[in-house]
Amino acid sequence: MGRIWTMTAADLKQRIRDRSVIIFAIVVPLALMGILNLIIGGAEEGTELGDMTVAASVPQGDASADGVLSALEGIEGLSITVNQVDEDRARADARDGTATVGLLIPEGFGAGLSSGEGCDVTVIEGDGAGLEGQVLTSVLTGIVDRFAAATVATQAAGALGVPAADLQDIAQDVTTAAPSISLTDGQASDEQLSDSGALVAGQAGLFLLFTVGFGVLSLNAERDQGTLPRLLSMPMRPSAVLISKGLVSFLLGIVATTILLVAGGLMFDVNFGSLPAVALLVLSVVTAATSLMFVIARVAKTAEQANIAQSIIAVTLGVAGGAFFPLAASGLLGRLLDLNPVAAFIRGLGITSGGGGVADIAGPVLIMFGFAVVVGVISRLVPDRGTSL
Amino acid sequence: MAGDEDQVGDTRGAVDDVLVVDGLSRRFGELRAVDEVSFRIAPGETYGLLGPNGAGKTTTISMVAGLIRADAGTVRVAGQRMSPSHPQPKRHIGLVPQDLAIYPELSARENLVFFGRLQGMGGADLKGRVQEVLELIGLADRAKDKSKNFSGGMKRRLNIGIGLLHEPHLLILDEPTVGVDPQSRNSILESVERLSTAGMAVLYTTHYMEEAERLCDRIGIIDTGRIQAEGTRDELIRLTGGVDQIRLAGTGDLTHAIESLRELPAVEQVDHDGLALRLTVHGAPTAVAEIVTRATGAGMSLADVEITRPDLESVFLQLTGKALRD
Repeated sequence: MGRIWTMTAADLKQRIRDRSVIIFAIVVPLALMGILNLIIGGAEEGTELGDMTVAASVPQGDASADGVLSALEGIEGLSITVNQVDEDRARADARDGTATVGLLIPEGFGAGLSSGEGCDVTVIEGDGAGLEGQVLTSVLTGIVDRFAAATVATQAAGALGVPAADLQDIAQDVTTAAPSISLTDGQASDEQLSDSGALVAGQAGLFLLFTVGFGVLSLNAERDQGTLPRLLSMPMRPSAVLISKGLVSFLLGIVATTILLVAGGLMFDVNFGSLPAVALLVLSVVTAATSLMFVIARVAKTAEQANIAQSIIAVTLGVAGGAFFPLAASGLLGRLLDLNPVAAFIRGLGITSGGGGVADIAGPVLIMFGFAVVVGVISRLVPDRGTSL
Repeated sequence: MAGDEDQVGDTRGAVDDVLVVDGLSRRFGELRAVDEVSFRIAPGETYGLLGPNGAGKTTTISMVAGLIRADAGTVRVAGQRMSPSHPQPKRHIGLVPQDLAIYPELSARENLVFFGRLQGMGGADLKGRVQEVLELIGLADRAKDKSKNFSGGMKRRLNIGIGLLHEPHLLILDEPTVGVDPQSRNSILESVERLSTAGMAVLYTTHYMEEAERLCDRIGIIDTGRIQAEGTRDELIRLTGGVDQIRLAGTGDLTHAIESLRELPAVEQVDHDGLALRLTVHGAPTAVAEIVTRATGAGMSLADVEITRPDLESVFLQLTGKALRD
């Protein structure tokens, strides 16, 4: 074991000295994260809603109509200004863009609600209303629906013989009562990382597949520079050389992935959650990625072949795993995508960032270790064209 | 190995031999790269494998050093059977591959320390030995410099130094002077001579005839994977019937001189060639003094004496039908 550590330490020293690892395993992915985040961040900024204006025509002295306007102005998170105007002005403002939308509440709105007869409310969306117009229309629809529900309730109450004086109170209760049914985020929702979080996790997973390739490249470098025969003439088993290269890949993978997650998290304000759970995920994905190195080392005869094989595998697994954007598929393809270690890594980080612990990431961890075992077995079965170790 | 009739001068017992190679064979697909090669090397002996590129030298060395498995035959180093999967016998060998087997990003000292540790050395022993080797190869003052900044000759010296570090019983040098400038080449050859004198067994492959003649106590001429002939330089030349020639140029009583010279046992034949005599001789370096004395004593006034000896190049040509550098 001492000789394996000696070879590993010397290899790491050389990789650090020639700066190749630092550049390709840390600097490049961080730079790519920055660029992609600017793109994604720009898109997110474009969806931010601006101030909205409603040109509302409401009947004088109608408490229910006033209630609609109050509900509109009271919506949290949206900046809505209501200007009360006459009907023609409301139509004109909506058309010329002075208002985001025009709202026309007819005479007898409150009475219609009280009597259960109902009435039509008109929303006018101008050509330039954009996303704000659509949002405002949707919000108004929601409010009006609640008032419509009040109409149905008062109709039912009237049919049951409730005194007319009480119908007003029933309508008021329906329009203002808190919902008795609420939505709670389920596990699937928890597993979704934020855009920035998915970006950091995906890029860390993708570049890990390149980083572990340094072990194979190092093995090819030994062959090219003539040191492999000398290593094989040392008093140790030939497999010690291959194991040390695997160890180089593994350690570089652990360090690079940790740095990318920490630096990416700080740069883009992402919290991946439980440290032990994240550490287990990193350990798992690096083990899975390192196992690929042994296959490449067996099949690639030259450094060029190793580079090509490594790039194909990294890009395929990275893209299929959701390094750039999430992929969804059903059936057999969907199951295969789930077995991708990069996908499992991103999924695991989604769970930890949603508050999950070590016990919650058993699925992704098992997938990654299972991947490593299967690939490890394959590496012993494929014909050895490269190492003869 | 070639037929027994080609074996010359190998009558030593196996007990003292550092290396015993017996019936070694290796195929690569249809190519029989090494075919029943056998030879032995004693302590302090330098054995040369002389042959052109592709003759099977490096494949033979790869099996001797335990890099690849032999299809047939055995290799014993210091009495232990060599195999790629057996670490123990490898402690006895120091391999200097044909390619520069050094790490360019590491300094000379770091390279030596790295390979020393892989040889199982450590602590003060390793530190002291590294310093000794640095001085031996003339790199003590450049010990901290990265080897990528060294000249070709310095890299070659470091390459050899790594092979010597653990003081192996057998040093294997695979064409160590390829691409080296004359000064560094001479330095390398001197180092090998010193190591041999110090008692180290050396297996030396080359396709440079003059290196083999200078360094090697015995030479195996290898071609198409087979040892074509083996022995000392003189034995090989005798094996192929090669004889020395001495040309005596001068005036005086040449006829009397011819008669007198023909009486010498070392002289096989004397021909009159204008103003000179051409003698066919066995062992010219030892016989030349008596030949000169006889010629002048018979009344010949000598103006010039020229000795021509057959070399390994001519031996190789005769054995294989092709030149050494083909």
